[in-house]
Amino acid sequence: VTTRSERILAVAFLLEVVTFAVTAPAFLSLANGFEIVRVLVEIGLLALAMTPIIISGGIDLSVGALMGLVAVVVGWLFTDGQQPLVVAIAAGLALGAAGGALNASLVAYGRLPPLIVTLGTLSLFRGVAEGLTHGAVNYSGFPEWFLFLGQGYVGMMPAQLPIFVLGLTAYAVLLHRSVIGRSWYAIGTAAEGARYAGLPVPRRIALAYLLAGVSSGVAAIIYVARLGQAGADAGIGYELDAITAVVLGGASMLGGSGTMWGTLLGLLVLAILRNGLQLAALPSELTGLLTAAILLVTLAFDRSRRSHARAVMSPATEGLTVSNAQVAALCAAVLAGAALVAAANVWGGLKH
Amino acid sequence: MIQRARHELSVVFAIVALALVLAAVAPAYFSGENLRDLFVASVPVLIVALGATLVILTGHADISVGSTFAMCSVLAGVAAKAELPMPAVLVLTCAAGLSIGLMNGALVAYVGLPSIAVTLAMMVGVRDALRWATEGAWVYGLPVEFQWFGLPVSTYPIVAGATAGLLTVGLAWGLRHLSAGRAVYAVGSHREAARLAGLNTSRIICVVFGLAGMLTAVAALLNAVRFNQVPSNGGLGLEMKVIAAVVIGGSSITGGHGRIAGTVLGVILLGMIGPALTYLGISAYWERAIHGAIILTAVAMDGFRSSTPRATSRVRRSLVEAP
Repeated sequence: VTTRSERILAVAFLLEVVTFAVTAPAFLSLANGFEIVRVLVEIGLLALAMTPIIISGGIDLSVGALMGLVAVVVGWLFTDGQQPLVVAIAAGLALGAAGGALNASLVAYGRLPPLIVTLGTLSLFRGVAEGLTHGAVNYSGFPEWFLFLGQGYVGMMPAQLPIFVLGLTAYAVLLHRSVIGRSWYAIGTAAEGARYAGLPVPRRIALAYLLAGVSSGVAAIIYVARLGQAGADAGIGYELDAITAVVLGGASMLGGSGTMWGTLLGLLVLAILRNGLQLAALPSELTGLLTAAILLVTLAFDRSRRSHARAVMSPATEGLTVSNAQVAALCAAVLAGAALVAAANVWGGLKH
Repeated sequence: MIQRARHELSVVFAIVALALVLAAVAPAYFSGENLRDLFVASVPVLIVALGATLVILTGHADISVGSTFAMCSVLAGVAAKAELPMPAVLVLTCAAGLSIGLMNGALVAYVGLPSIAVTLAMMVGVRDALRWATEGAWVYGLPVEFQWFGLPVSTYPIVAGATAGLLTVGLAWGLRHLSAGRAVYAVGSHREAARLAGLNTSRIICVVFGLAGMLTAVAALLNAVRFNQVPSNGGLGLEMKVIAAVVIGGSSITGGHGRIAGTVLGVILLGMIGPALTYLGISAYWERAIHGAIILTAVAMDGFRSSTPRATSRVRRSLVEAP
């Protein structure tokens, strides 16, 4: 069952594609599609991680700042610290997990409001990154094989796409086909009820924030590989894009609803809007205005649907079901991606 | 009473401790000039934080204030350049701030959208609309009577201080003694209960957002007149700063609990830290990290404190009920 906001989003998506295909001739090309994907992957990883957090009734504003911190630490260890890049990357991922763990411990076990905790860690992470680099140092000089991760092609598609697809699959299965996923929905619907039902509420919430930290770490490394440099400004404002994608995808900020499918649609709408405006030579400032407008309209539509639904039926029937068809569609997309990579590799092998 | 002021006391303690360290290590910090700069820079933050306190008291959050601040600054500059008299500039700027605030408020209160999403959209939308309109250009060539309101430089701090003081005292008094003020607390404590008690909760929330927008406009104008040009990208990160000040001041982010006095102390503490770093020989780039650490400490202390009284009362009850 697709929700109404998902249908609105799909229509918006099609409208965007048609509009840009007409106004910007370069829009409907494979190369441009890959350009969209490259930018989408980093915000996408954050949005994937944000989905269970918002579903369980929380929020994480610190993901973009954590990206900045991880980027700086990886760059610093590699250049000034003279460490092998593999060690630097491992340390960066560990730092991402540690940042997530800090949020997790304060929100889940300290029972502090997530908005203000992650606002604090946002300042902390970004501040430490700025302090380490004095706001100016940009680390660069990364080896070729590392840059491949962000700029190269596996067969025909961008090298970072498989990572995103892997993350998407993992999150989709975790959220929609596992006990942990169900408990996130339960916690977001009624945390106290979930506790009485015997769910380990703090542990489940902590997991969502911890995974978000790890995702931020991965996103940071892809970001550094794409740009070839690591500075404290990595990922500024990404948290807003990630939250927008999730909310566009139909998740309620109050928790209890939202799907991975919706988040993916939200991401596509955002990314295509940004890219299309650029190609159509329209002012890039329109992106913010249009994003804001789409966000508010989707929310308002969703809101009116909810209040109608509440008036007609009891709250209990307003459940959220993700049909097998949707999960199948997601998995099919993942398989298709994998097949594409495999085919491209075989093709590449034959050519040489 | 002392119980209630305990949080404020711990902020006062932090301020005094910081001041003592500074007095010992860098006495130059307390030079008249530095204190004046500190004061003048903190006044706009305080005025925005007053509005943020109101919004947070109702249990909402407004993260669009930074963008509103930038827009009102530019608008004030453009209006002054068009040779409007200063009172007209003030009215126009306030009207702009008020209308953005009311728009936020209407979407939150009447349409029922979550305030974070609404003000997030407003923050991005207003900032980008401003970039589009100004194309990033600053406003130059302002008339003479714009800077310092045409007053001598030395009287400006008095004007700014008096404005901020009046607003602070007025709001603190109103929140405590006017029925409108009590209604703000009632809505923040339990919106449904407040509605059943006969309060028009939607209107209260809408007005509170409107007030926050208008206070931001006043702050923007007071800030803009300090310079002879208006940047088009002002107020970046302002929303974080004021929410931090409010939370450090002991207001509960879930609403219904908090005082203006706490916010004032929070603004003072945050305002002292930035310049203090320079005097203590620490790179100013660490300011944000320290802000973050302070927010986390304040909120952790707050959580710790709010769980202790419950524990003690449970102990007390068990003592009373013990046979």
